[in-house]
Amino acid sequence: MTIPHRPMSLTVNGKPVGPIDVPNDMMMLDFLHDYLNLTGSRFGCGQGICHACTIILDDPVEGAVEMRTCVTGAHFFAEKRVRTIEGHATRDAKGDILQLTPVQQAFIEHFAFQCGYCTPGFVTGTQVLIERLRKTPIARADVEKTIEQALAPHICRCTGYVRYYEAIRAVILSTPGLVSG
Amino acid sequence: MNKAKLSRRGFVLGGIAAGVAIRVNFLADGARADVIDNPRDARPAWIGPNGKPRFRMDAVAKVTGDKTFTRDFRAKDMPGWPTAQSNALFIRANRADAAFESLDLSVLGADLQPDRLVLGEELVRDGLMPPDGAVVVAPGFYGDRFLVLKGETPRLLGQPVALLIYHDFPQFAAARRKLRFADVIQWGAKTGYHPPPPYGAGRSIRVGGATPADADLYAPLTGTIVGGTFDAQGVVWPAANASGNAAEKAMAAAETIAAGIENAGPDALVLQRRFYSQSVDASAMEPDNGLVWYQADSGRLHAMIATQSPYEVATATTAMVAISKFKLTAIDLSIGYTVGYGTKDHSIFPYYCMIAGLYGDGRPVRLANDRFEQFQMGLKRHAFWIDNTLVIDRKTQSFEAMKGVFRCDGGGRRNFSPEVGFVGMVAAQGIYYLPRSDFSYEAVASRAVDAGSTRGFGTLQTMSATEIMVDEAAEILGVDAIALRLKNVLRTGMKNSQGAIAGGQLRDDELLVQMQTHPLWTGRAERKAVYEAANPGKRYGIGFAQVHKDFGSVAEGAITTLTLDPTGLLSMRQHGNDMGTGMTTSQAMIVAAVLGRAPESYTFGIVDWPEMPLSDEGTVGTQADQDALAQNPRWTPCFLTSMSSSNSAFFIGHATREAARALLRFSLWPAAVAIWSEGAGGGQFGPLSANADEIRFEDGHLTAGGLEPLSYARLAKVAHERGLITGVSVHSFNRWQFSQAIFDVPTIGTMRLPIDALSLRFGDGAGGFRFIDRQQVFYPEVARMNAGVTYYSGMATLVELAVDTASGQVDLLSHHSLLECGNQIVPELVSGQIQGGLAMGIGHALHEDLPLYEDGPGNGTWNWNRYRLPHGRDVAVWTQTTTVLPPLSETDPPKGMAEVVMIAVVPAIANAVTHAIGKRFYATPITPEQILEALS
Amino acid sequence: MRLSRRMRLGLLAVGLVCVIGAAGVLAVLFGVFQPSVVSDAVNQPLTPAEMAQLVPRGRYLTLAADCAACHTAPGGAPYAGGLGFALPVGTLYATNISPDPTYGIGQWSRADFQHAMRDGIGPGHSYLFPAMPYVSYRQMSEGDVDAVYAYLMTRQPIHQASPRDSFPLPYMRLGMAFWNLINLPSRGFVTDAALSPTINRGRYLVDALGHCGECHTPRDISMGMIPGRYLQGATIEGVDAPDITPAGLARLGFDAPTLAQFMRAGLGPQGVTTFSMYEVIEHSTRYLTPADAEAMADYLMQGAPPPVVVTVGAVTPGTEHGRQSYVAVCAGCHGLNGVGVPHVAPAMRTNATLRLPSDRNLMRIMSDGLPAQSFPDGEAMQPMPGFAHLLTHQELVDLAAYLRSTWGGHPPH
Repeated sequence: MTIPHRPMSLTVNGKPVGPIDVPNDMMMLDFLHDYLNLTGSRFGCGQGICHACTIILDDPVEGAVEMRTCVTGAHFFAEKRVRTIEGHATRDAKGDILQLTPVQQAFIEHFAFQCGYCTPGFVTGTQVLIERLRKTPIARADVEKTIEQALAPHICRCTGYVRYYEAIRAVILSTPGLVSG
Repeated sequence: MNKAKLSRRGFVLGGIAAGVAIRVNFLADGARADVIDNPRDARPAWIGPNGKPRFRMDAVAKVTGDKTFTRDFRAKDMPGWPTAQSNALFIRANRADAAFESLDLSVLGADLQPDRLVLGEELVRDGLMPPDGAVVVAPGFYGDRFLVLKGETPRLLGQPVALLIYHDFPQFAAARRKLRFADVIQWGAKTGYHPPPPYGAGRSIRVGGATPADADLYAPLTGTIVGGTFDAQGVVWPAANASGNAAEKAMAAAETIAAGIENAGPDALVLQRRFYSQSVDASAMEPDNGLVWYQADSGRLHAMIATQSPYEVATATTAMVAISKFKLTAIDLSIGYTVGYGTKDHSIFPYYCMIAGLYGDGRPVRLANDRFEQFQMGLKRHAFWIDNTLVIDRKTQSFEAMKGVFRCDGGGRRNFSPEVGFVGMVAAQGIYYLPRSDFSYEAVASRAVDAGSTRGFGTLQTMSATEIMVDEAAEILGVDAIALRLKNVLRTGMKNSQGAIAGGQLRDDELLVQMQTHPLWTGRAERKAVYEAANPGKRYGIGFAQVHKDFGSVAEGAITTLTLDPTGLLSMRQHGNDMGTGMTTSQAMIVAAVLGRAPESYTFGIVDWPEMPLSDEGTVGTQADQDALAQNPRWTPCFLTSMSSSNSAFFIGHATREAARALLRFSLWPAAVAIWSEGAGGGQFGPLSANADEIRFEDGHLTAGGLEPLSYARLAKVAHERGLITGVSVHSFNRWQFSQAIFDVPTIGTMRLPIDALSLRFGDGAGGFRFIDRQQVFYPEVARMNAGVTYYSGMATLVELAVDTASGQVDLLSHHSLLECGNQIVPELVSGQIQGGLAMGIGHALHEDLPLYEDGPGNGTWNWNRYRLPHGRDVAVWTQTTTVLPPLSETDPPKGMAEVVMIAVVPAIANAVTHAIGKRFYATPITPEQILEALS
Repeated sequence: MRLSRRMRLGLLAVGLVCVIGAAGVLAVLFGVFQPSVVSDAVNQPLTPAEMAQLVPRGRYLTLAADCAACHTAPGGAPYAGGLGFALPVGTLYATNISPDPTYGIGQWSRADFQHAMRDGIGPGHSYLFPAMPYVSYRQMSEGDVDAVYAYLMTRQPIHQASPRDSFPLPYMRLGMAFWNLINLPSRGFVTDAALSPTINRGRYLVDALGHCGECHTPRDISMGMIPGRYLQGATIEGVDAPDITPAGLARLGFDAPTLAQFMRAGLGPQGVTTFSMYEVIEHSTRYLTPADAEAMADYLMQGAPPPVVVTVGAVTPGTEHGRQSYVAVCAGCHGLNGVGVPHVAPAMRTNATLRLPSDRNLMRIMSDGLPAQSFPDGEAMQPMPGFAHLLTHQELVDLAAYLRSTWGGHPPH
């Protein structure tokens, strides 16, 4: 291979990965798809606009940070911990689903998505929001506005957003400690 | 819609490509879609205790990141495929006014040159051309070239000129980045543009009788849709002749309408307005893609393709490859979940994927658009130019006549352009009865990216214009805009602009009456005053519009198979696949409604139907053609249609329901009677007079007229042991009317069913299915093709918005919609479709726009930053409301509604903006710049 | 512009206390008011016909003078004021200049408007704060001010009071009389016969209507623009308004045609306009006629050296860490080689921000990001995220050094 590359290691969904030789300039989404075969994070725009490709970076200081993998280099994540859509639900050793997260559960029960292409990004964005609210709860009156702002960049072409946002509201209101007062 | 595909499969399989085995799967074998294919419990987890879906059948797979879309699959995921996969990309023309001379790939350096470079000449030499001839809808449907030849001018912007295949992924990724936006094409002399000739023109002319009930003086249903030809100046219509042929008579009728408009006196309001509806990218989140592996030695072509029309892809690929130098013995096509809003139906992209695979040197090749490429190549919604004239009697406020002249730009490949024009034309009357109407369309070619089947299919464009016009007419006449609509609404039994009477009760009037009393409408003046006083600088507006839209096409073929295993588990096989609408879930619920339970296992997306050995070979041009062809009990006018045209609930649902009914009557009921009749004196059954109409399912058990409830396990056991019918497969056909046929059903008797083919399995099914040749068939008359439409769903939308006079921004405050769609199969899915359709309509009305030509998507620089899709903040997420009109009874059919829901909101927004600022807009999208201009 | 005024007034508030004290004596000495540049002719009201005729021109001039930037609050009604300038001593609010008789300028006469615009004195002899750039508008022609007046009077009256200024020192307005004595030129615009009509038109657009100097000319201790450092750039609220002298613009990569284009488009090879300049484009310069934009550019670029071309070579030694960060978080949009993505993300190779003498603006953008911005002709930039939470300060510094040395023509560190 004539393309400059270097080894990288990281932790994906709790499991150590690497060291793997990865081209210096490869984007994280390509790495997830074509090196790790984790294809749940979706290619939508390739320019960081639609947020279908986001994953969670678990930063020791910042906590959960939503990252757009289509415009972020794979090597940025070297030695870091990330959660992809495949790592949200609890799975058994074979990889079968044991339990969904409350966010995933709410999405399916609200019939939140249709084609589902954007769903991994919405799960990711919502999970980050929930974890943020756990640290800094909001007033009940601010819930809708907060959802709008947190999920604003996420594009969905099928649903018109209503059932997604309603599901997110339901999770926030039913999870103790996210709403103050 | 008028996707008049009347012959394909028979031609392909019986003609040039006889003997090619076609197999299509939903998802690759071994894909992690266990929620669909391998339910772990007897009752699938997605069904709640009440028998209703707790969530979509595909929900868990989709929410956990499983491989569900074609895009998610790589060669290593495909069972039996080599794991080493190649990747391909195109060099595409970013101009269409000069001859392609050569490629200069020096930008790639020595290291990043492709492993395989395919140019147009090689394809021509190898005999590969876009599918054409009888195998596709019409000649030139996909154009004449895959790749631009040297010395030729591209037909359209974005047309590929070269295919580059890389075996190494990092090299591919690096090369792709280098090539993006790079000028690597050497152009020769300027040649001017080189689009195909115009695609087609048609005209629907009707002059009604003295009253709507009287016979029409002229109508397409009894006469003809007039076809236009083209000369250098444009479209040419036949000469008028009142005693000539059908078309000449039609033109004579058109002359009387024109004269009526010309000579309208002062008592008539003659409103003439021109409209423009922009080109739109459907922006399905999954860009077009496919994965193809060709084994040259055995002639097997394996593919995984994102498509809404797998049957078309499989059969047309067969025809395409069969005449090339490549040996073909079998096609093994897998499809995933996908999404396209019509743009993955009859798209050329799958054939490009096949080409890539054929030149993969034995390796699987993946071809997957990025978003820039998707804008450059994805099918567009047609831009429409509309010139309408509406004549209204000022005194009675009755619509007297309407003339509409529509031009749509199909871009550089024909695709469904004439059909889109046709459907737009027949929808243009909106929800109104028009005593006289003259609508015509002209589908023109250009160098634009090709437009095709896209949600709305021409009706969004023409009906929006009509609804904006009616709103203006009401304003001019000084009457309530809903009252004017009610005055002229198309009522049950009235004829549409083709002279056809719609199926069933028309309920547009009910929608109008309900919406007329909605607080947003009754309180609009007061609300405006209050809002504007409280929000200086904002202008408040309420807008209303209502449409009804057809669903389905002129040829809808569908197959469902249901089988009962010895333990009582139900399995379902279906040709449909899920584009996000939830049709897999709703088809299961249709079965549940008849059989008291949903099947336990499913296979969707099936194209290969050994149990349904039908052919649709032969062209139906006339009634005589059809009568002759129908003599063959194994012939049908249309084998399978694609997933499109809002067709799953009504048309595919019909096949599913009839299969379930057949299983109930042919299998479960006889088995039950056998059990009940055991013992002396006819057992418990003897003393009673229960019949099949009394079948009820209670707690999953079959009972009737007080007879012992029986479990599926018992019924199945008996049916299998005694060799009763244990599996049914039905094929249904619809051409604005369902076909019916008479069958002698073994063990049951002779009966007439609303299907055109039936196949049965007996006992343990060792001998497979037995096809039951029909004794007589009743196909809809061929003239039904001219009906335009006979199935309507209705949608009315009220929009409340505020215009910011400083920025020109439109802020949707709320909207309320009322839908009429018969019985809802799964209300949660219906409401999701409504909300999604409304968002897409909002995008069309306010945000989404594409220039057609050099500055447009064909130049390869468009993405969702410039092309703004509606976001959450744009759609009034928290304040929108919807009501679905209750059905007349629980027996109303479920009607297709995925397209109609996006339309009314477009003119409703335009009308609301007018209410807000007092200016009318005749072009979409209505942008802040235009609003500021109007305000200055 | 907003930032500039906020800053200006901030220092003003502090400085004024001193000025007022010291000027007490001067007040006695100069018991006369500043000379007006407004002629007596304006005491004659314009006829309705004259007003009507002036409206189209007035609309253009109102845009060119960028009145909306301050007098239309974000989300607020047009020309209803309300935009707040938070200052250390209180908040000053832009006034309602819609023709509402109660809260706007509905009752203002032609003369009232002329004196406010060009003398900084409103009706009732109330002194305006120089957040209103009357020092620049003083150079507007009487006819142009009439046209603006005529246009504003056709706007929808907005019956809405601007919030009251929360200044603790109500007599500060009076103090403006003294400030004006120091900082207000005695004369309006004077055509320079030595220059071509185009250049004169350009200077008029730059100095009078565009009031470019209000941000781009540094200010002295009294917050007056320093004539000797005309358009040489200033720092306002932590952001550099660049040097837009001919040499300064050439350093950023402009020549006259590209500058003219940039002012109407808001973007170009030099990047996209950022911070307050984006609002200037959005509300004002995008509407300039090509001829006016060219005249402005011709004036600004007079005598400029050829635009600087930065030669792009290999990665400068010492910036490899910055390069790694660039590849990790920037290259996805701005391109591995800094060429950007057409219509999506600006190129770095020719980006003006990288060429500025200081890395102040660059660091701010990299740390905090930029909001989504729309430009004429359908151009639209998605938001750029900030990276302060993902990169350490040192990484940001290294990244800036990499960018500036690779494409900005600066030596590393």
